[in-house]
Amino acid sequence: MEEWIERFEEARELRRKYADWNFIKSQPVRLRIALDYYIETGDLYNASRLAGMTMEEFNELRIKARIPSI
Amino acid sequence: MIAITDTSFLIDWVKYTKRDLIFKLFELIYIPESVFNEVRSETTLLWIAEGLENNKMAIFPEISELRNEALRLVLETRRLPIRSVDFPEAYCVVVGKVQNYVVLTENGGALALVNYYDEYKEVKVMRALEVLIELYKRGFIQEIKGEVKDYSRQTNHLFSNRDLRKYGLI
Repeated sequence: MEEWIERFEEARELRRKYADWNFIKSQPVRLRIALDYYIETGDLYNASRLAGMTMEEFNELRIKARIPSI
Repeated sequence: MIAITDTSFLIDWVKYTKRDLIFKLFELIYIPESVFNEVRSETTLLWIAEGLENNKMAIFPEISELRNEALRLVLETRRLPIRSVDFPEAYCVVVGKVQNYVVLTENGGALALVNYYDEYKEVKVMRALEVLIELYKRGFIQEIKGEVKDYSRQTNHLFSNRDLRKYGLI
């Protein structure tokens, strides 16, 4: 369990590090919250729901925001 | 081998220029209805349509018993201190167990689930990294380190140092 907690923490740090925060801050509230949620959790499914998009549509937004999927 | 894919794997893998190599490993890739509904881009839809036409892909229906078990997993994993699974990937893991299919996913929750749930330990899960390594082992990829870098560049998918180290790629 400890290893998995470390893995998720490591992935979160990488998402935070590479994200284009200027792009994220320039987004409408709903998208900004969804992108923030994705950075913190890596959870594409719920992030897409928060954004009101399908998972593939949200994935394109993720790429624009330079957030790596890990 | 037969595989079932979730959305997280599919939408990254489709951006890879050598995406059709995956059919060297799997005679058939199932796409659950719930995953299919998440797809919107022309590239992905065209690739799926081509796969369906050539009988290399098929849509996996939503079966009520499997759906109920997937919902149970969604609930169970929310009680744990690590990332939970959501319905689409939970459904793939359940199908993988019942049908003995390989589960293709990039979802950390699904990966963790098969590692700590005894009843799901037999389920084989592969991420893009494992698929690339398997293609390399079978001679369909000549140089693995460069290929992994190409994959990352083309899909904006980053592999963790922990995983790269595990496979001797750094």
